Parts: sequence; structure tokens; C-alpha cells
Amino acid sequence: MLIELKDINKTYNNGQPLHVLKGINLEIERGEFVSIMGSSGSGKSTLLNILGILDNYDTGEYRLDGKLIKGLSEKQAAEYRNRMIGFIFQSYNLIGFKTALENVELPLFYQGISRKKREVMAMEYLDRLGLKDWSSHFPNEMSGGQKQRVAIARALITRPEIILADEPTGALDSRTSVEIMQLLKELNRTDNMTIIVVTHESGVANETNKIIHIKDGIIGEIEMNQGHNASPFGTGGIMK
Amino acid sequence: MRIDRDTFREILDSITRNRSRSLLTGFGVFWGIFMLMLLIGGGQGLKELMEKNFEGFATNTCIAFAGETTKPFKGFKKDRSWAMTYKDVDRVRNLVPELDVVSPNITLWGRTADRDDNTFSGSLKGVFANYSKIETPKLYYGRYLNEMDIDQERKVCVIGKKVYKNLFPEGGDPCGKSIRIDGIYYQVVGVDYNEGNISINGSADETISIPLTLMKRSYNMGETIHLLCFTAKEGITMSDIIPKVREVIARNHYIDPTDEQAVFMINTQLLFGIVDSLFKGINFLIWLIGLGTLLAGAIGVSNIMMVSVKERTTEIGIRRAIGATPKMILSQIIAESIVLTLTAGLMGIVFSVLILAGVELGMTSDGILKTHFQVSFATAMLSALLLTVLGVLAGLAPSLRAMNIKPVDAMRDE
Repeated sequence: MLIELKDINKTYNNGQPLHVLKGINLEIERGEFVSIMGSSGSGKSTLLNILGILDNYDTGEYRLDGKLIKGLSEKQAAEYRNRMIGFIFQSYNLIGFKTALENVELPLFYQGISRKKREVMAMEYLDRLGLKDWSSHFPNEMSGGQKQRVAIARALITRPEIILADEPTGALDSRTSVEIMQLLKELNRTDNMTIIVVTHESGVANETNKIIHIKDGIIGEIEMNQGHNASPFGTGGIMK
Repeated sequence: MRIDRDTFREILDSITRNRSRSLLTGFGVFWGIFMLMLLIGGGQGLKELMEKNFEGFATNTCIAFAGETTKPFKGFKKDRSWAMTYKDVDRVRNLVPELDVVSPNITLWGRTADRDDNTFSGSLKGVFANYSKIETPKLYYGRYLNEMDIDQERKVCVIGKKVYKNLFPEGGDPCGKSIRIDGIYYQVVGVDYNEGNISINGSADETISIPLTLMKRSYNMGETIHLLCFTAKEGITMSDIIPKVREVIARNHYIDPTDEQAVFMINTQLLFGIVDSLFKGINFLIWLIGLGTLLAGAIGVSNIMMVSVKERTTEIGIRRAIGATPKMILSQIIAESIVLTLTAGLMGIVFSVLILAGVELGMTSDGILKTHFQVSFATAMLSALLLTVLGVLAGLAPSLRAMNIKPVDAMRDE
């Protein structure tokens, strides 16, 4: 079991206490391609932050690859994030004054890997995502799809256990969205990479093999979706 | 923290990203250290220039001379002229044991000395051998007058620099050669290169010193002396014994011992004290202004770094999300601050050193540097160290703020 959540509770205390996650229980196996679906305010982003060790939870237990993730020091959390988790964000979150290659290299820089080795590895991943010729370009010289692919390369370079994608197609047009989802699918199939996608688009969720519906901080239905026909709007592509 | 090309590159990247802002921020520090260095160098040079004036002059000297009386005493009216005599020398020496050297001096102004076709008009001073303890000669050639010269009334002289340059334009050692003053030939035994601007009856470079005993006889001057110079023994404050000396002299000439105009005393110790405290004050001001400016610059750096950290919240959040530890962020911001402060500061040091070197070049004559304006290497190194400390301090608040940025903030700031 790669991810194990047991009765996770999370309350935000900004003035009015807001109980966001109300006892989440969830298990995700290695190699699964899962989406977490819910409307805004359902707690899906909070859940993703907890899964990505970006945020703490109040009660419950979260085990990642058997390790209990609770009360970690900032340094440990940074280390786990660096080695076990790859992030893909809606807004790409590339560093604007660094080239594509440098952006992809960055996680390895924090691991203390030598410059030469980093460059070779980053180039390899960019090549794999078809961006070899764009390695020395800055993010603002690239299209949204290219930027997202750079971000995916950056997420992959540390060979993480899981990829967490927060609305990965949120800022892309439908054609590019299809491309990115195909890419993630491919990664899941060929590398047996565990991928969790958070989205509110049913079309995107339909591309995944398992859809976890979350509503008002509780997990609702868990839909097996091997046939990719869960959503009437999603069949045959992504509807925007 | 690793210090390698990558770390440095990261720092350089973020500093050069907003070039004009970094430049302006750095300018504050640059100007601060530039002013501090310039002021230190300038103050030091000024002090040296000032001290040059007192060069070769014993700092605890007092000079007494006779003025008109201003108080009636023992039946004498005021406004009476009088003169000191030889007896005063012995009397002061015997009755005031606190004194170290007591040396009289007689002077004739505007005497023309000549040698072959060269003439020079300077002052002729009759002195004792111990006068060298009052006004230390900087002997370039030969020796000063000695006891034998005085006792035997030898016709020898020590000449000042200007006298030498005028009478011996061909240069070379003039010792053994003769010059003529008022029809008397004197053998030159020494050349005094003292150029101090304190002059006791004529500045040293325009003076011809001859034995007092000889001068007294040659010019029929009787027992009169013009000046009485004396120094106090070590550990004795001159101003404490001045009334005692005045009283000894005054008693012999029927002068009110409290008449300070009659027995006029110039206390150089007091003079030196004034100059000394003046420069202490100037020094204090220099450091106050210099450090103040520098501190203002450092606060500017801190402020700008704070703004920069705020601007970079997303970037820092991303870095944290992909594995940067808080310590890495902290050290990067501090390193940025240090690099900014140190680069600007070192440029300030270099620039001020160049300017001071230029000033020194202007002060150099005949290849001899007259005054040192340049700051010492130690001062420069110390300033560099100070800059580093300031850089750390300036980076502290912004970096703590950066450290507290949570990775979620990166996503929130969309």
C-alpha cells in the first residue's frame, strides 16, 4: 500500500473555524492512476496538500510508503517532498528567470547532485517530453502545454513515488489538455508511476482509472473507471 | 551551506534580476563606506599636516619672554619695559627643580649671510647646546652645536635648509666651509632640515644658529636674553609650574609675580592639548558620520531585501515545494544580502583608496610624500569584515521572513 489515510481531520482556524476534512479514509496502491474530483470548497485541494506534505493535518494517520507522515520537521518534510513526491500545478509554477533546463534541474540541485550529472539527467527528461530543443528557453517563451511538460519533467526527475497533479489542465486549451492527459496516462502505463490528479472537470477525471469523489470534506463514491466511460461528457476526449 | 558555482549562480541570478534596484541599493552601502574611508583618510592626513607644524618641537615646552608690565609693583609704574638676563637662567634652573632643560636664546633678525656671490637674509640665533632638546634639529649634514663650541666661543654655525639651499646652490656637504655674517666668518658644522612651522624667533629653515656666548660678545649684547625656553621633567604638568617660574623671574626684576603680560609664557603643552582634543573631536565626528551613513545603507539593503522576499513569495514557495529546506532559503537570502553589501562596499573601498592615492599624488613633491592620506590595509580589511557583518544583519530579517514562507503560499499567490 503506497498511500494510506486513516480518519484524517483538518480544521482551519482563521477566525471562524472551518472543518475542511471530516475523517478521510483512503488507500492508494502503487501504480494506480487516480483522480480526486469535487467542486470548489469540497476539500480536495486541502487533501492534496496533505498528501504532498505541504500542509499538516490535525488528527488521523497518513502513511506514505509505510512511513508515518506526522509532526515532521520542516527539513524532513522538504526531504520527503524532494525524494518521494513530484508536483504538477495548474499554473505550472516554473521559476521565470530560469531556463527550462535549469527549472528541471532544480530538485536535483537541492539534493546536492553535481552540476554535470544534473544537466545530463535534465536533458534526458526534456528529450523524453519532446522539449530538447527548448531547453535553453525561458518559461515566458513557451506555450502553456510546453510549460506544463517542463513542469512534468521537473516532477519526474527525482524519480518520485507519486506524482501529485493539481488541476494540471486547468490553464490549457482542450487540445493541449488531451495531450497532457495522454502523457500522464503513458507515464502510468510505461513507468508504473502512481499518479493522483485533482480536478473538477469530469472529462479529465474520466481519463484516469479510478475516480474518488469528495464532497464537503467526506469521500463519497469511489468509481472504478477502467473503461473510461464514467462521464457521459467525457467519452472520446476531454470536454471543456 | 554549500559554497560552489551553483550557489553563487543562484545568488547572482536573483541580484541581477532587478538590476537597477540592486544598483541603487548597493549605492547606499557604496556611499557609506566610501565616505567613511575618505573621512578617515582625510582626517588622518589633516592631523599629520597639523602635526608637521609641530615637528621637532618638544611637546612640553614653555617659552618665556619679557613684555611690558601691566601692574604697578614696589613703587614702579606699570607699562615699564624690561629684559631678562643670564641670571634668570641660573635662578630658574636652581629654584625650580621640576624643570628639565632650561635654555636661553638671543636673536637678531634680518642678518645677511653671504658666501661667494650668494647671499641670504635670515635670523641669527645665539643658543646653547641644549637648545636641541627644545627644538630638535633634523640634521642632514654634520652635527649640532656642542658644549665645546659654546665654552670656547668657536665661530661655528648650524644653518637651516633654506640658508643651505641659497648659500650652497651647488649642493653637497657644506661642513667645513665658511659663510660670512656681518664681517665674521663662521664655519658650517651642520645643516638642519627641520621644516616645522612653529618658529621661535624665526622659522628653523631660515635660521643660522651660532654659540650664544660668541654672539653675545660679537654683537655687544651684554647680559640680555630674549627668550627663555624650558621643558618640564616627565610626569609634571607644565601649567602647574608656570606660576612658580614666573614668580622666580618676576622677583628679580621688581615685577608683580601675578603679572602675566609682563612675564609672558607660551605653553606648548596647552597648545598640543587643544590640537589633540580637536582631532579627537574630529575623529569622533568622522566615525559618527561614516558609520551612520553606512548603517543607513545597510538598512536600505535590508528594506529592499524585504520587498524582494515579498515579491518572490511564489518562487520561494515553489523552491520549498520541490525540496528546499528552510535553512537553504535562509542561507540564500543572507548570502544575497552579503554579496550585495560586500560587492558595493568593496567597490566603495577601492574607489576611496584610489581617490586618496590621487590626493597623495598631489601632495608629493620631489618624489617625497609629505603627508599620508591613505587608509591602512588593516583599516580596509576591518571595513570589509564590518561590511560582511552588516550584510548578515541586513539579511537577517528578510531571510527569517522568507524562511517562514510555506510551500502552500506558492499556490495561494496565483
